[in-house]
Amino acid sequence: MSTRTLDRPVKQSTPRQRKRRIFWTGAAFASPWIIGFLAFTVYPFFGSLYYSFTSYDLFSAPKWIGLANYRAILSDPSFYKALSNTFYMAFIAMPIGLVASLLVALLLNLKVRGITFYRTLYYVPAVIPIVASAILWTWLLNPDYGLVNIVLRSVGLNDPAWLLDPNYTKPSLIMMGLWGSGAGALIFLAALQGIPQQYYEAASIDGAAWYRRIWHITLPGLSPILLFQFLMGLIGAMQIFTESFILGGGANSGTMGGPDQSLFFYAIYLYQNAFIYLKMGYASALAWILFVIVVLLTLVVLKTSARWVYYGGD
Amino acid sequence: MSKNIRFTRTTTFAMLAGASLLLASCSGGGNSGNGASEGGSASSPGASSPSASASAPESAAASPASASQASASPANASPQEKVTLSFWYGWTGPEGEAIEKLIKQFNDSHPNITVKGLSQSDYQKQLTAITGGNPPDIASQFGQNVAAWGTKGAMIPLDDYIAKDNVDLNDFIPGALVSSQYDGHTYALPIAMHFTMLFYNKKMLADAGYSAPPATMTELKEYAEKLSVVQKDGRLEVLGLWPGIDSYTFSQVYGGKFWDPDTKQVTPDDPGFKQAVQFSKDLWDKYGSENLDRFSASLGKYQSAQNPFFSGKYAMTIDGEWLPTFIKQFAPSLDYGIAPIPYSEDHPELKNAGNINTSVLYIPKGAKHPDASWEFIKWFTDKQQLVQFTAALGNLPTRASTLDDPSYDAVPGFKEFTDYAKSPNLKSFPSLPFFSEYSDALTKAVNDILRGKTTIDDGLAGVKKTIQPLVK
Repeated sequence: MSTRTLDRPVKQSTPRQRKRRIFWTGAAFASPWIIGFLAFTVYPFFGSLYYSFTSYDLFSAPKWIGLANYRAILSDPSFYKALSNTFYMAFIAMPIGLVASLLVALLLNLKVRGITFYRTLYYVPAVIPIVASAILWTWLLNPDYGLVNIVLRSVGLNDPAWLLDPNYTKPSLIMMGLWGSGAGALIFLAALQGIPQQYYEAASIDGAAWYRRIWHITLPGLSPILLFQFLMGLIGAMQIFTESFILGGGANSGTMGGPDQSLFFYAIYLYQNAFIYLKMGYASALAWILFVIVVLLTLVVLKTSARWVYYGGD
Repeated sequence: MSKNIRFTRTTTFAMLAGASLLLASCSGGGNSGNGASEGGSASSPGASSPSASASAPESAAASPASASQASASPANASPQEKVTLSFWYGWTGPEGEAIEKLIKQFNDSHPNITVKGLSQSDYQKQLTAITGGNPPDIASQFGQNVAAWGTKGAMIPLDDYIAKDNVDLNDFIPGALVSSQYDGHTYALPIAMHFTMLFYNKKMLADAGYSAPPATMTELKEYAEKLSVVQKDGRLEVLGLWPGIDSYTFSQVYGGKFWDPDTKQVTPDDPGFKQAVQFSKDLWDKYGSENLDRFSASLGKYQSAQNPFFSGKYAMTIDGEWLPTFIKQFAPSLDYGIAPIPYSEDHPELKNAGNINTSVLYIPKGAKHPDASWEFIKWFTDKQQLVQFTAALGNLPTRASTLDDPSYDAVPGFKEFTDYAKSPNLKSFPSLPFFSEYSDALTKAVNDILRGKTTIDDGLAGVKKTIQPLVK
């Protein structure tokens, strides 16, 4: 197209025309992404909003039922059960994981011999897909012959049934999460190295102990990244699915949600409604409620973050 | 523990659940995020016809007239030009190979049709394929999903084909066939079935002074208690019988119904089912959740030599026709017997009760060559193929005329099961479009009842309250 324009007898184009042409050329180049975004993100996004007001079983045409889905959800005990399990992961498991990654990052920031080896070592679990690591952990946590219990027994400690005991399933997930904390640690590590060294030097000269240096320099310096990690962790935890799906034995197992429904998470309930009960409308409404909850939580975190996030600068 | 009350699945699916996790979860996980919208993009084509005929208030099963609407397109008979069919089946590994063997036989004997098999154990994939307008031509499913999928129009009704080819539905075992039918339509044909019986450790029974397995529920309870070994602190060493018994099977023992077709009411509060739950509850409370949980956590893997029944941790167990094959493999020296499910003295007429689960074949909506698909299903459910298939998998056949086939002589334990399969008291959970919801609600309720979070009456009333609104 552009060559043709060049071959044409010279016709002065105004800067405005040129600007427009540049815009459309750029748009044409970006079009594969734009089309994909419209078709696979925007359309489903609003499509699910529409379906959330319908009764839709995937096969027959959706039937408009107004707010009935939302009303039903609010009086659905399974919704609350799923929500409380999910909140546990978001507000207990996720912060524990965050603190662990931070500690790992601090360790990996030490200047000791072979530190690159340790860094690699801690990052390796992050490369392993959740599915594989979940299966791996079911072996490790096997009550009888799992490595964890063998160790616990050998030092005379109580050996819980982990993934089979409703009281221990969520702590098991936390442990699995800790194992993968290298991924978060890597981001913290990058941020740690971005903190100017002279702050530490000045603090040392003033006689600040290591914990005061962490509290007064490291943490404020990390706070934007901490906020980012916290938000991403929160959003991720609200959508937790794979671990429970695998540990519960999959869609056709009849044991979805784990022992005594202790791993019955929001996304599991959503999946169940959509693909097992064929209640797409109900599932869409669930998805939108989750979306609103996540947006609200994010806003709250962002609003309060002004108090503890330090963006540097003078 | 819920595993023990819920449906006991086939070997097939037990193994499959493990083996296919990777596959199932990858795709499943992917779906969940924007799942709501996936179906939406392609909801348009022909969402009306099969379900329209399904909702018509006809009751005569498989009468030629009843399904006239549905047959608009597949009018002409066997296809003349060559067609290729895709067939998604849920079996994997050696069982998948058994299927492939049959597919090859079919292809060799049907020059115009080429069937290509695909082991696809993620059943949710079938949903997206059908709504996406690009379904397989034949697919396998669990019988209990047929009513839901059939009435929603995901399955092409087979009534016309069955009538045209004079398939003798009467030869199918009734408890197995009804799971493929709803409201007078047959949406699929069962190719394998499963039910449970009582397995008992002969030596342990003899040591306790019993020469025969328990015949009645009273005896079952007495045996279960006497055979259990409990330490002073309540810790369990041996259980006579795991108390979380399959409440569907035992509901049949007490004549429990889950559905009243006349009043269109779900009846989780049916006295028969209540009695079954009560039986479980009495046994459960004798040991308590804590001891049972600790005990069950110590138990070995189902499919191994440490299976609690194989290793003498259970003196008795309620299990399916696949168990003898496992025993032969993992615990060949185990001295065991297979006995009928005990009957209740109040219902001697319900002796030899049981609960049937099936695997079925169906033609998905939107299949391009339904006539050829039917050709395959018809061939597959023919006596000879059915026997070959079920014998290879160690599953039970679904046709009465195959039960005495000599091919099963080599399958351990099959004599007992194929004989039991003739019992008129083998029923299946009523075929209902909201089976999954109902069954999940029951599982949850029974779990809460056993664990003392609710009473039997409240728990089952809760199920009714949740499920009854789903009745259309």
